[in-house]
Amino acid sequence: MEFGRLFELFIAASLINNFVFTRYLGLCIFFGVTKKMDTAIGMSVTFTSVMVISAALNWIIYKFIMIPLGLGFLEIVIFIGVVAGFVQAADTIMKKVSPGLYYKLGIYLALITTNCIILAVPLLNAGEGYNFIQSMVFGLGSGIGFSLAMIIMASIREKLELADVPKSFQGLPISFIITGLIALAFLGFSGLITL
Amino acid sequence: MADIKKEHELLVSVSPHIKSEETTSRIMWTVNLSLFPALLMGLYFFGPKALFITALCIISALLSERIFQKVLKKKPTVNDGSAFLTGLLLGMNLPPSLWSFNPFMIHVPIIGSVIAIVITKQFFGGLGYNIFNPALIGRAFLLISFPKAMTIWTTPTAAFFALDAKTTATPLGILKEEGIGKLIEAFGDKVNLYTQLLIGHRAGSIGETSVIALLIGAAFLLYKRYITWHIPFSFLGTAALLAWVFGGKNLETGKMLLFAGDPIVHLLSGGLILGAFFMATDYVTCPTVRKGQIVFGIGCGALTMLIRIKGGYPEGVMFAILLMNCFAPLIDRAMKSNVFGAVKEKKK
Amino acid sequence: MSNAENKVSYIGLIKNGIFAENPIFRVALSLCPAVAVTSGVKNGFMMGLAVLFVQVMVNVTTSVVRKFIHPKVRIPSYMFIIATWVTVTDLSMAAYVRDVYAQMGLYIKLIVAFAIILSRAELFASKHKVTPSFFDGLGMGIGFLFALVIIGFFRELLGKGSLWGYPIVNTKPLLIMILPTGGFFAVGILMGLFNWIDMKFFGGGGASGGGH
Repeated sequence: MEFGRLFELFIAASLINNFVFTRYLGLCIFFGVTKKMDTAIGMSVTFTSVMVISAALNWIIYKFIMIPLGLGFLEIVIFIGVVAGFVQAADTIMKKVSPGLYYKLGIYLALITTNCIILAVPLLNAGEGYNFIQSMVFGLGSGIGFSLAMIIMASIREKLELADVPKSFQGLPISFIITGLIALAFLGFSGLITL
Repeated sequence: MADIKKEHELLVSVSPHIKSEETTSRIMWTVNLSLFPALLMGLYFFGPKALFITALCIISALLSERIFQKVLKKKPTVNDGSAFLTGLLLGMNLPPSLWSFNPFMIHVPIIGSVIAIVITKQFFGGLGYNIFNPALIGRAFLLISFPKAMTIWTTPTAAFFALDAKTTATPLGILKEEGIGKLIEAFGDKVNLYTQLLIGHRAGSIGETSVIALLIGAAFLLYKRYITWHIPFSFLGTAALLAWVFGGKNLETGKMLLFAGDPIVHLLSGGLILGAFFMATDYVTCPTVRKGQIVFGIGCGALTMLIRIKGGYPEGVMFAILLMNCFAPLIDRAMKSNVFGAVKEKKK
Repeated sequence: MSNAENKVSYIGLIKNGIFAENPIFRVALSLCPAVAVTSGVKNGFMMGLAVLFVQVMVNVTTSVVRKFIHPKVRIPSYMFIIATWVTVTDLSMAAYVRDVYAQMGLYIKLIVAFAIILSRAELFASKHKVTPSFFDGLGMGIGFLFALVIIGFFRELLGKGSLWGYPIVNTKPLLIMILPTGGFFAVGILMGLFNWIDMKFFGGGGASGGGH
């Protein structure tokens, strides 16, 4: 039963409440990196892994440090500190251990700190009171959902390169409209799971 | 302004999917023609009000295309039949009782057409570049905007204001809420249910009900080779298989009963036939590679049944096709050659 | 920044924030709240006020401490300053405007990750004196507020038929506009119009960069 609930949580986080299409988060990066497929894929891989680890890390800190000390009100400062510190550490370690991977994915790491999703996940985890496993599943689902959105968007924008979009709508305006249309299609998933 | 215009003229001619103006418009008008049997059946069952709705959709689609191109000083393409087709398909996808209960809903089809033509097609550079099927986006937009008006269904009746028409649920609505037993009961017996569904004497959208008329049009298109079997057959096959496996329900417990569904009811009701032959096959919004088209069809079928059986709406064809429209460029990309991207993405 | 360090016109700074470098329509940074909280004018206005306050305070603080911060640790220091002021805003709003906070608390917290605030601190406040930094923050904040209120105006009018919660027409003309989908459409179309007006009447280049 527990497994079924986790699966539902995963589907809800990735498809039904997709961060981009229904919670409107991560838009800056979403529009920024989806001009090309390669960057979108690089970002997806980096993002999903950072998301799961930061969800776990923040859960531990929230549960064992912040709650006992009554520091819940400092969640913003602490979570962003943890994420920034972790990203910095990952950056350094990756540079030493695997320069090839760092060369490919390093630039995305720098962008991640200022992403709202990466901060929203621990905040939502704390707010919903998820346990350790649930927090990680939620992080994974959110990461995969965001990756899916980025990869779809990148493929559409690549196809659109040849298109004759009216000049004042080129660039961001048309991207917003595409996102709106995808969000409209994703409404078909609503009601699939009632959590 | 001058240089913008020049750019437009250059780009119009490089469109990848269209061989020449002549063939595009011939294909479009042939598709329009092939939809006529189904439209006539719809008009016969639902009366003049259905004609009024469809005509309003077509006229507003043509007008919005013309006005937009005038404003942007683009070459007019109203005569190529694609805007007509969008309007026709939108009209055929609307409930005939749209304003039986509120005559002020006259703006609903117009909004649908404008959204379909301007936002879904012209903003992307016109025919050949749109990512989504315009008529389906128009309908989805209306369904979300006017949830009440778009889900009132009436029994087939030819009266104009339909004061005598009774509100009723669509077969899929009954199936979802009350189960197959109730549906058979509503139509008398099983044989009668199947024949009525086949002819189209049931509640539903104007152009989706008459399966037999739709099949005649589809056969014509297949014979003319304007559409191929790949998408419709993989779509319908997947839907039928999943309906048989997961569509059954234990009447007492309400739990799912495996291998007990009725695929025929699922195939004959809702917009499945209309969607599979006339909308999923839209050249521009489906993958261009044959293998990709099969994947596309399977995806459509699976998503349709997922929404019908587990989702929040009784009918899933529209959302399924729109969702697969999102994936079409990705499918094309993965199938055309072994791109690194395709492998990487599975690894996650 | 075309203005030289010594001669900065304060009115010019505010105008710059509203038009030339409008955070949402032109620079295209911090787009999330533009869609997230603009389902109504009131929420958009409150969010704009919160951002205005944070931006001004962050700019001023950064400007005050700019001489004491080692360049190597400047980004973490700015993040810390921003996080502090966001916490202040978050807790005050939770205390005083409960109904608004209940709807958009998460997004208030997320002001901390808005690229626009960090980028103004880094690009402007760290190089300028306190007063110009204050006006730069004010201009950016007002530009942000202005954009959110415009988007909120259209979405609430079309989606709910009301403004600031007061009914204007009796029906809900286009329910979709208050959903996420409608928000994306509204922002996309308004952005396109902004570009079109700019190209048509001011001879601008159109298409904004599309930030990160």
